[in-house]
Amino acid sequence: MSFTQVARSCGRFAAALNTVRIAKTVVQTQSRMMHRIAMPAIGTQLTQDSRCRWQTQSLRSYSAKPPLSLKLINERVLLVLKLYDKIDPSKLNVNSHFINDLGLDSLDHVEVIMAMEDEFGFEIPDSDAEKLLKPADIIKYVADKEDVYE
Amino acid sequence: MAQVPLAIVSHKRQVCSLYKRALRNLEAWYDRRDVYRYRAVQMRARFDENKNKDVAEGMRLLASGQKELFETKHFQPRNFANSPGGCAFEREVILPDWVLDYWHPLEKAQYPEYFAKREQRKKEYVAWWEKQYGKPDPSDVGHH
Repeated sequence: MSFTQVARSCGRFAAALNTVRIAKTVVQTQSRMMHRIAMPAIGTQLTQDSRCRWQTQSLRSYSAKPPLSLKLINERVLLVLKLYDKIDPSKLNVNSHFINDLGLDSLDHVEVIMAMEDEFGFEIPDSDAEKLLKPADIIKYVADKEDVYE
Repeated sequence: MAQVPLAIVSHKRQVCSLYKRALRNLEAWYDRRDVYRYRAVQMRARFDENKNKDVAEGMRLLASGQKELFETKHFQPRNFANSPGGCAFEREVILPDWVLDYWHPLEKAQYPEYFAKREQRKKEYVAWWEKQYGKPDPSDVGHH
């Protein structure tokens, strides 16, 4: 057997392997990647079912936040505060002062501000944080930061 | 600009800042939430233990705390995505509103309803401004 023959037969073998592998990956990706379901895979047959799938929405929307409203910010701030173990939920109000009404100390206040940072995903510098002494202040601050007016 | 210190920072605020940075540092070291909470409670206890010390002792403790934080600083602290040091910092540029006024008329013609409404809003804003602050003095209008 000459060298070229060997090379050719090896190439054919590799090509055959490749097709098998491609078929396998098509089947696998369909089960694995949930967010790709909306797009029909290349290898699948077009049935009436899959034609409808073009119209379904994709499961993820990349790098987009749900739009905030003042009501939503209000609910989220109060929920975070209710879940904090040092605050009594029955006393909690939008206008209750953290230190005077709810009896927190300054380190608790730091923890509250950190929880708000984690909730809304941006940093609150210390100079601003010391002015946010009521839930209403936090709501207003977040709304200003995210350009929410209604 | 909010970060630039313009006044002498009080002792209380320095302690609060140290506490916050210490917690964020722990958060960077311990990524499991339950482990982090355990360490955070321990850290809180260390702060509470020195709550009622006198000023000189307090200043010494603050300095030693800052030194400890510096020595145990995480090599790659976690940042919020849009904060300085985060992965999305200054990635999304939001154009100011006046850019729309400089669109080409042909471009504006593609969105006739929006631009008609925009012109209307501008007129309303000028009317509101004049009602609020009075007519501008003619000597102030123009460049010189």
